[in-house]
Amino acid sequence: MSDFGFHLAFWSLAAMTLGGASMIMISRNLIHAVIWLVMSMLGIAGLYLTLSADFIAVVQVLIYVGAISVLMLFAIMLTPRAERDNSQTKASAPAALVVILVMISTLWVAVDTDWGAVREAALTEQARLIGESLIKHYILPFEIGAVLLTAALVGAIALARQDDEDAAVHAASLQAELEGEESIDPVDVVDPPIVSDTEATS
Amino acid sequence: MTIGLEHYLALGAILFCIGFFIALSKKNAVGVLIGVELMLNAVNLTLVAFSRFGSAEVALSTQVFVVFIIAVAAAEVAVGLALALVVYRNRQTISVDRTTLLKG
Amino acid sequence: MTDFTGLTSVLGAWYDFRDLNNLQRLITEWIADWGPDWLASIITGVLGALGVLGVIGPTLLILIWVERKVIARFQQRYGPNRVGPRGLLQPVADAVKLILKEQLAPRAADKLIFFLPPVLIFVPGILIWGVLPFGPRMSVADLNVGVLFLLAVSGTAVLVIFMAGWSSNNKYALFGAMRAVAMSISYEVPMVLALLTLVVFSGTMSVNGIVEWQQQEDVIFILLFPLSAIAFFFAASAELNRTPADISEAESEIVAGYHTEYSGMRFGLFYAVELGNTLVVSGFIATFFLGGWWLWGLDQWVPSWIILLIKTGAVYFLLIWTRGTLPRLRVDQLMGFCWKALVPATLLFVVVAFVQRTLLISEGWDTTIALPIMAVFNIALTLGAIMLFARVSRPAPLRRPARIRMAGAQIGGLRAAREVASRTEEPQFQVGGD
Repeated sequence: MSDFGFHLAFWSLAAMTLGGASMIMISRNLIHAVIWLVMSMLGIAGLYLTLSADFIAVVQVLIYVGAISVLMLFAIMLTPRAERDNSQTKASAPAALVVILVMISTLWVAVDTDWGAVREAALTEQARLIGESLIKHYILPFEIGAVLLTAALVGAIALARQDDEDAAVHAASLQAELEGEESIDPVDVVDPPIVSDTEATS
Repeated sequence: MTIGLEHYLALGAILFCIGFFIALSKKNAVGVLIGVELMLNAVNLTLVAFSRFGSAEVALSTQVFVVFIIAVAAAEVAVGLALALVVYRNRQTISVDRTTLLKG
Repeated sequence: MTDFTGLTSVLGAWYDFRDLNNLQRLITEWIADWGPDWLASIITGVLGALGVLGVIGPTLLILIWVERKVIARFQQRYGPNRVGPRGLLQPVADAVKLILKEQLAPRAADKLIFFLPPVLIFVPGILIWGVLPFGPRMSVADLNVGVLFLLAVSGTAVLVIFMAGWSSNNKYALFGAMRAVAMSISYEVPMVLALLTLVVFSGTMSVNGIVEWQQQEDVIFILLFPLSAIAFFFAASAELNRTPADISEAESEIVAGYHTEYSGMRFGLFYAVELGNTLVVSGFIATFFLGGWWLWGLDQWVPSWIILLIKTGAVYFLLIWTRGTLPRLRVDQLMGFCWKALVPATLLFVVVAFVQRTLLISEGWDTTIALPIMAVFNIALTLGAIMLFARVSRPAPLRRPARIRMAGAQIGGLRAAREVASRTEEPQFQVGGD
């Protein structure tokens, strides 16, 4: 853990992670913020690799970079341009104070505590070990997690789904809103609902 | 100087605080979600660091915990974004400053 | 059952091209003599990347020609035949033209994000080659989570495509990007499920481990799980934006999709990566479902990478064939096919794989007898599923009217024909018939 290559990897990945996170704070554009988030996530995946947790690292890339960030971009695209700023609320000054206090205390605990023996060997065959313990030791949390994911799936669909009447009302209000403006931004016009197969053929 | 547990813990702490600040201070609901994601990732980083450097009996359970956190985070983002969409649909805004129906 | 360890230890010299790993091992050992550990890993990594680039660069130039020629044959044309003998130099001329072209950027584009994608798209395009095994120990990185790595890396390309489409600030580009993102997210599900059957059945997540399993059991996975192979093939061709599923860059609908605003070599880079991805996905289909570098003992006499390349070429030809033959699907058809047909079918096969794996491991069935039975059962199941899909999804049969009727003067087309057909009284006039 002390050779030059490891130092290089750790410090560059830490800079990437923290730099990405700081740029989220600074950037005014929400889409830029999501892209900086992706950079930060990739840095964390690299840090997992330096901790020789390769399974977690790959899962991190798969879920955060491949799925969650894309989901966020989709949600941003579904709201009009005016909502795409990333500015800060009036509460940011007290928030900064609270955060600095939390940072000082956590850093103090992290550095000052004696964490005990440091192990040199890492786990091998992690995917197999994690899989086995998931279906042996942690079977109940695993099942609960499955139920949670299903509930989230159903809940997200139920929340985001528009009834036909709602859609009509929304389209009318959007139309009224758009007519008041000088130019219509083509990007913000809501697509007409896609006619499903059954309707098209009947 | 060798890079040990403390480095990763400090990194996780700083990342958590940045995420905390973003979650507290952003106007946009999606921005708040980004902050929450950063906080969860900081916790994950800390757990994986403990898995690598901690005692042998926690090595596996921390990684399993991380897997659960990632699963919960994915569910949370999906529901959170759906909520943001619904809020936008009803209030024409996703700014957390202007969704003040409960404010009397 | 073939034994490679003895073979390579006898012929472990650098000039033994049956196993290019010897060369890499030699370099690693040479650096380890005088340099630190990290230098060895960096240098072999750089060499691996350069090797991949050096192989796929020229291959792409040839592939452009092959693809255009083959497609031309499917469409009864000659294809490129002006530059060089038989048009062989056409790709070079195209590349020169693209490099010399002016690089344009829309004034309203988001500058930073607009310039990044042509470069970033290369990162997953190169990384994905890392886990493709060309031989028993011949991949740049034989990860034990190779299958997951493959999925994760191919997932990141979606983000780059979105960046390209969004930053162009052009509605067609954005439409293309949104379509690409929606489609890749949807088709990732059957892709994962198709690979999950293999992972469950072979009990390993390493790509090379899957090939070795097929070698050990003397069977290729397309016989055991044909529906997974078909689903993976279609999902992969959808992820690659190739013609039966290229709605994200449908020329006749949305100009060129996400790379509408990219000109010159920037477009060329997108195009090159797309072709390279097609090649590597053919390679992965050959590896997962056709046995990869292994071919019933022939791999002892022929270099294993040649076997893989031949199989890859065959799959690539199949991809060109579907591209040349099938028309483009509509967005909703494509999504409906994914969620209503591919996902349930692949899920069914995941369950089948679980059951059969349990029978093999827990019940201790003899693999030499059980595997052929399972193969026959799975093939029958696949045929049944396909026939069920064909029966359910075919359009309602048109009721043939007794006499051929034509539309009235006011309204035209199909609607008129239907209206006329639904009337009970005789139509005003008729054409043809008796």
